[in-house]
Amino acid sequence: MNPPSLRALQTGDAAAWDEAFHWLWPTVFAVAQLKLQPFLPADIEDVAIESLEELVEKVRELKSVEELKPLAASIAHNRAVSRLRERYAAKRGAGQTESLDALQDNAENPFDPASGDSTLADLGQMDLARLLGELQSNIKPEQRAIVADFFLHGLSYEQIAAKHGVAVGTVGVYLKRGLDAIRRAGERHPKLLKELEAFLR
Amino acid sequence: MNTMNDERFFDLAMKVIAQQATDAERAELNSSMVEEPNRKAEFERLQAATKLAKEVVPLLEATESTAGEFPGYARGRLQTKVRETLGAHPTTRQDTEKKAPWRWQWILGVATTTAVVLILLIPIFTPADKMIVQVAMLDSAGSTRGANGDELTILQKLERAGTVQSFSRSNELAAWENSWPGKPTQPSVKIIYDRTAGEIRVSGRWKGEPFQQTFLVERDLETTLREVENFIRDQTGNGLRKN
Repeated sequence: MNPPSLRALQTGDAAAWDEAFHWLWPTVFAVAQLKLQPFLPADIEDVAIESLEELVEKVRELKSVEELKPLAASIAHNRAVSRLRERYAAKRGAGQTESLDALQDNAENPFDPASGDSTLADLGQMDLARLLGELQSNIKPEQRAIVADFFLHGLSYEQIAAKHGVAVGTVGVYLKRGLDAIRRAGERHPKLLKELEAFLR
Repeated sequence: MNTMNDERFFDLAMKVIAQQATDAERAELNSSMVEEPNRKAEFERLQAATKLAKEVVPLLEATESTAGEFPGYARGRLQTKVRETLGAHPTTRQDTEKKAPWRWQWILGVATTTAVVLILLIPIFTPADKMIVQVAMLDSAGSTRGANGDELTILQKLERAGTVQSFSRSNELAAWENSWPGKPTQPSVKIIYDRTAGEIRVSGRWKGEPFQQTFLVERDLETTLREVENFIRDQTGNGLRKN
């Protein structure tokens, strides 16, 4: 499916928006699912729809159609995190929030990405959208796949080498390049850099 | 530090961070960091980058997901948001034909390529306020179809129907939809029956305040028109039919 015309979207063309909703739905749904599936699975679709509504409000701020998906993802991410925080704050009493990291303590996988509290959660919507756009351009798909296999899926160098048909030594090279690209992108965003520096202290 | 050592350090650091290192590998890394303190700083930078990677990589994968069907029930709500936020623009004829809801297929019959818009201009005058009501029907199946006449009759029951106009282009409907009669303060309502989308869009101005709503024609046109009338009566205090 091709991206819709940004100009048509910005002028409120209903047909262009129909296309956009179909095109963007997998993104907002997958991002909402990423954050909410372990805690609030019934809220995923609702957050995805709300994210598209918010995207409609922000579409006039965009300059190119390539910004649409990162912004949609950013909105969905921040809305999902807010939903988690609200829900757990409500459970604990008005005005109090619960660290969602704490909810991960018993998780079997130490790399479970579903935590609501995150380095990214406090990034502004446009900052996160820009970060995602940069990473889409700067990390090659094979680097991303190997980073995901190692850190998220827990595969060893040998298993990754076999899966991707590369030498074991190449796995380390891809991992290093992928991490370097992520680190460089993070350093371009002052808020994120601050978070990362705080992590190092 | 030579290149080989750098590679070995990186690989050991990765295994330790990912909790895949053996005791021997962990000891080797610790020993390396004791001997060369700058390695400790590099290890911490790798930890920070890894923390970020674990968050952004799944988000990137989700951003590029192509799986999953947009739920049809959300369309009406989202298109209403589009109209409220960005202004009302009708779908093109080609698009509305492509996306015509299945429930309209029995009405539409054999598909044709002519788009016709019938417009009824119904001025309604009440003692208190003069409100202009304009009604338009987008008919992508053409004026020769029987159902078209039936629906026109239903619309004409709104009373005081005047001139019926036909359009063959959707941009003419867009121009009509965005063109309001009289001064900006003139009380007026536009009712657009979009057959192919299966919806009635209502927008209006009353005492300087805009209002709008979209009604899905789920059961039949008459039922939905009654909902439309109730909505307009709530907004303006005016009905659409002769008493």
